[in-house]
Amino acid sequence: MKIDRRSFLSFIVGGAAGTALTPLPWKITDDLSIWSQNWPWTPVPPNGEVTFVNSVCRLCPGGCGITVRKVDARAVKIEGMDGYPVNDGGICPLGLSGLQLLYGPTRIPYPMKRKGNRGDGKWEKISWEKAVSEVVTKLGEIRKNNRPHGLACISESDRGTVAGLMARFMSAFGSQNFIRQPSMEDSYELALYLMHGIRAEAGFDIENAAFVLSFGSGVIEGWGSPVRMFRANSKLIKTGGKVVQIEARLSKSAAKSDKWIPINPGTETALALAMAHVIIKEGLYNKDFIENHAFGFEDWTDGQGNKQQGFKSLVTATYAPENVAEATGVEKAVIVSLARHFARASKPLAICGRGQGRTSSAIGEFLAVQALNALVGNINQEGGFHAISDNDYIDWPEIETDQIASNGLQNGRLDEAGSENYASVRYLPHRFFENIIAETGYPIQVLFAAGANPLYSLPDTKAVKAALDKVPFIVSFSSFMDETAQYSDIILPDHTYLERYEDVPTPIGLQKPIIGLTRPVVSPQLDTKHLGDVILGIAKGLGGSMAQAFPWKSYEACLEKTLGRKLDTLLDKGYWSPAVFSVPEWIKAFETASGKFEFVVSDQDGNGDRKTKPIADWYTGVESQGDPVTYPLLLIPYDSMRLVNGFVGDPPFVIKTVEDTVLKGKDVFIEINPKTAKQLGLSEGKYARLTTPKGNAKVRVHLFEGIKEGIIALPRGLGHTAYDSYIADKGVNYNELIGAVYDPVSGLDAAWGIRAKLGKA
Amino acid sequence: MSASEEQNSPEAEAPDEEEMDVETSEPIEPLKPEEGKNGAGATIFLFFILGFAASLIVGWVVFPKLLYSKKIQPINFNHALHVAEAAEGCESCHYFREDGSFSGVPTISHCIECHENVNGEDPEEKKFVREYVEAGKEVPWLIYAKQPASVFFSHAAHVITAKMECVACHGPIGESTETRIYEENRLTGYSRDIWGKNISGIKQHSWERMKMDDCADCHMQKATSEKESGVQQSLTRQLREMVSVAFPNVMEVKKGSSVQTEKDACFVCHK
Amino acid sequence: MKQTQGNNGNKKFGMVINLDLCTGCGSCMVACMAENNVPFKEDETDKLDSITWMRVYKLKNGKSWPNADICYLPRPCMHCGGHGDHGHSPCVSVCPAVATDYSMATGIVSQIYTRCFGCRYCMAACPYHVRYFNWWDPVWPEGMERFLNPDVSVRMRGVVEKCSFCFHRYQLAMNKAFLEGRRVLEEDEYQSACTQACPAGAITFGDLNNPEHAVHQLVQPDPKHAGRPRNPKAFRLLERLETNPKVYYVSSRKWVRQSGDNYLKKEKQKI
Repeated sequence: MKIDRRSFLSFIVGGAAGTALTPLPWKITDDLSIWSQNWPWTPVPPNGEVTFVNSVCRLCPGGCGITVRKVDARAVKIEGMDGYPVNDGGICPLGLSGLQLLYGPTRIPYPMKRKGNRGDGKWEKISWEKAVSEVVTKLGEIRKNNRPHGLACISESDRGTVAGLMARFMSAFGSQNFIRQPSMEDSYELALYLMHGIRAEAGFDIENAAFVLSFGSGVIEGWGSPVRMFRANSKLIKTGGKVVQIEARLSKSAAKSDKWIPINPGTETALALAMAHVIIKEGLYNKDFIENHAFGFEDWTDGQGNKQQGFKSLVTATYAPENVAEATGVEKAVIVSLARHFARASKPLAICGRGQGRTSSAIGEFLAVQALNALVGNINQEGGFHAISDNDYIDWPEIETDQIASNGLQNGRLDEAGSENYASVRYLPHRFFENIIAETGYPIQVLFAAGANPLYSLPDTKAVKAALDKVPFIVSFSSFMDETAQYSDIILPDHTYLERYEDVPTPIGLQKPIIGLTRPVVSPQLDTKHLGDVILGIAKGLGGSMAQAFPWKSYEACLEKTLGRKLDTLLDKGYWSPAVFSVPEWIKAFETASGKFEFVVSDQDGNGDRKTKPIADWYTGVESQGDPVTYPLLLIPYDSMRLVNGFVGDPPFVIKTVEDTVLKGKDVFIEINPKTAKQLGLSEGKYARLTTPKGNAKVRVHLFEGIKEGIIALPRGLGHTAYDSYIADKGVNYNELIGAVYDPVSGLDAAWGIRAKLGKA
Repeated sequence: MSASEEQNSPEAEAPDEEEMDVETSEPIEPLKPEEGKNGAGATIFLFFILGFAASLIVGWVVFPKLLYSKKIQPINFNHALHVAEAAEGCESCHYFREDGSFSGVPTISHCIECHENVNGEDPEEKKFVREYVEAGKEVPWLIYAKQPASVFFSHAAHVITAKMECVACHGPIGESTETRIYEENRLTGYSRDIWGKNISGIKQHSWERMKMDDCADCHMQKATSEKESGVQQSLTRQLREMVSVAFPNVMEVKKGSSVQTEKDACFVCHK
Repeated sequence: MKQTQGNNGNKKFGMVINLDLCTGCGSCMVACMAENNVPFKEDETDKLDSITWMRVYKLKNGKSWPNADICYLPRPCMHCGGHGDHGHSPCVSVCPAVATDYSMATGIVSQIYTRCFGCRYCMAACPYHVRYFNWWDPVWPEGMERFLNPDVSVRMRGVVEKCSFCFHRYQLAMNKAFLEGRRVLEEDEYQSACTQACPAGAITFGDLNNPEHAVHQLVQPDPKHAGRPRNPKAFRLLERLETNPKVYYVSSRKWVRQSGDNYLKKEKQKI
């Protein structure tokens, strides 16, 4: 039999007919379609038992309660904790994205030691024993050389047990150089110390206020505890409370307020004093408070018998509305009407601290705003301003310092806080770095960075870098590869907040004390260690009085001992708050020399930085840096909930929400009034060169009618050089373009903007 | 043929042409070719049959063998023994969680309640305790009923609300004394149980297949209250659908919640 | 979930967003992304291919300084009921694959990713730009896929996706209800992820058919006019297209309400 072409074709046809009668073609078609709908590279998240763990968010000072949804051992979603006093179920974009940080590529996986030059990004993996012993050896050396004050530490916070342990470590070691990242807390604490005579935190009973007067505070842009402020703002809207926003730019807070009063930036102090002028002139102030519980309202006589000006004559003489109208850009009639509305409101409250309040400000501005609160008598009243002190739950034994430490402590702080000139202020971070560069004081040999990223978040990044170059040994405790970690010599990575225990003291701005508990949601995912345990380990390694100062076996033991019975409540409820709490009455509220609220903050005996200075010297703002001829424009920053501006950068989800009129590709947009842009020959989307006395950057132009002519605005939170490719090298870091401007009376950095010019690029 | 050759032998060609005419005229309708055609036809038909038969064998016998890889469960599990011991039958191990979700295959933490130590003589139990319980490792069970990620199935709706028996979908697995071979589809990666043991697609029992049509079978049955099974059921269903589309007023078909499909909305079962 | 009691038993889940309370913070966007396994790329500044089921738009009043005003408007899927509320949403009507359908039982427009073949007719049809196409396969940086939610399937390249009103949460809540012997959910048992997360409490979610639910009370939908709000401060986007959306907005600012549709000058006065 010959197999010819026809037979072959017949075979094929027979085969095809047969195949059609088998499941083969249909089954393959079906299976291929199933296969094509389930690509092996598309992840299938495994299912499992769903559980919820309550904890407290640590990504900003807001201290919100969170509930983390877990599927078996995986954390899959962070939600706001229902019933938590701060946020009651609400949560911000950053808090929602915490798992991207926990599981993300910016984590530091294990202890690392620098290879090659600083900032090269070349690291060597080392063991925890080796990492701790390296630090112990370095610290041992400087103690041996009798220079313990050569150790410094910069931290995000100074409250709670972890920061407490760090501060204790510094003291036991013999250094006063514990520094907190700047924020409006610096200014509020100082204002409270000067006017109330107490070391306390500012609390705002916004929920119950009827009229909130905000001097540039981003009420709904992350000021204070963000979610709590959102909720308070919603409550105000529902109950008919009024919010007036005084701000140079139409921010979200300004747009959402009942009235936006555009003001020339930097003139807030003058406006507050002009309002005080109207309130006093028209007799609208709280007479009981001013006459019985305040000092320095009227003229007074100091210890030397000299006549001194009081608050009343200061504002009546100098700050008539018509005198400040031009400087502030606010019409006289508006000032008068605003002052009347404020003073006549049932529960008025004035607040300040620009944007998210992540910078310090001129003390004069805070004094002036606080003076308004005093005039309307809202201090420690419902819906008013509350002074809260809550740190009393930490009660550790006194440190017994050895001779070396005692000697070291004699050297004082390198940043000069607490010195003759700046006796009342607690931290001056910018001056710390400046003194390192200038080589004034003494050299810093070891710097700890704990939960702080000064190389990104302090003004004048170039100067900070130059200062770091003069510090021979930088230790980072960061969980994430941030700018400072990248520029350190050794990294001892901390657990993230989702992997550790930690107490959370009263969130910033809250009107009543509360302690929260951060607890492990998942087991440590990487070879990291709790910062508390690392401090204990280093102290033990140093031995002697250092080891004795830390009698706890572990951080957890320390936390248990510190919190005592509160811990049970914390584990059970997720937070602890006093059963009964009320702020003291006026008669007991003030611990000043006069026992009263003091308008005039000069020391009556003429001591320290409060030696008798005319009252006018205290109630002032500062000018911006740069001369108006070379730099005709004013550059101000703005904050946004979508641009994270703390010790972490934007996680991928959050940077995704940023509008394309803020960031496009890698370019940041500068907001400018269309008329100013036209004068400069710039139009929407065009590239421009932005120059300030501190630096320059290439930006794109976004025309915005919500900004005054001559002013330009740049967002904070961009321009990272570290972290991952989702955030790095996008936009410009505002801090590279600005420098510190000293408040002459307090020494705080008071910069609110900088002069700038914009040209075609 | 080139022109020069024609010129070279013009005479010789003529008689050839005549001869050729005679010779070529004959095979136009010859007998032989007719016989040959019949013979060739048979051959062709034979080859058709061969191809037909071969493809049937390939399709029905070889293909299913090739399509599925055979895997053995990590532990030979005796369901019958466990059901006899357990107080609450299937639900002792395959229970509902408080949130209404179904636990599915138990985890080690559940097994450990009884098997913290070796209880009996069974080598499989010894292996289980040593390799998984003591090592704190989950058993990588191969799950016969595992559905693709795009499928949502509520055990609560079926078992609690509709009071269905486990057997209806999973078969009498509780009576098995050892684990079956797990046949994995090489293309899709899912178990053969999903598509059906019988390669023809005809099922004898409701639990022999777990595809979308099988859900539909049952749901249509519920809707029309008719007891049909297998091919018959599926055919009548399709017929009824065709009729209802062609003559919407003739036949009343119970409509589901989806506007487009007139059945339940797709996302009731798909996620 | 089967439609058993005619239209009376049907739910109509909808959302009311108070634009006076909305702060434009973006929590709803992120909550949605985290809940629904929405992918992200290194560069998300091209908003045409940036997948955001929930997107917050910035509205401007068009006036110059200092009379300029801005307002934020979160935009999920509108889950249009279509003209007359018969379920003929713009997208559902054009889908050739039955990958998206309208559920009468819940009023939710579903999207079945494995069914979709990516023709993008629905995207062209949707007047609200709520639908997004997966131009690329989703990629999670190593380790980050650990936070993916198993209740929502991960989408692949070539399919369209959109907001589902977190329908999986409805399914899970129903599971719990079934376990407890119920078939009806309480108002707070089914809430979308954005509603739950909103720190300003600007979003309200519930059954528009149920007069006891807050959404119904807030907007007072008029059944005679396909659910048009009777609350004068409430509005829907592109009301005059009669797509009959289930997302309502409330604003005390006239210019914001006027931004909801393309009105002529003389028409604007009535808004």
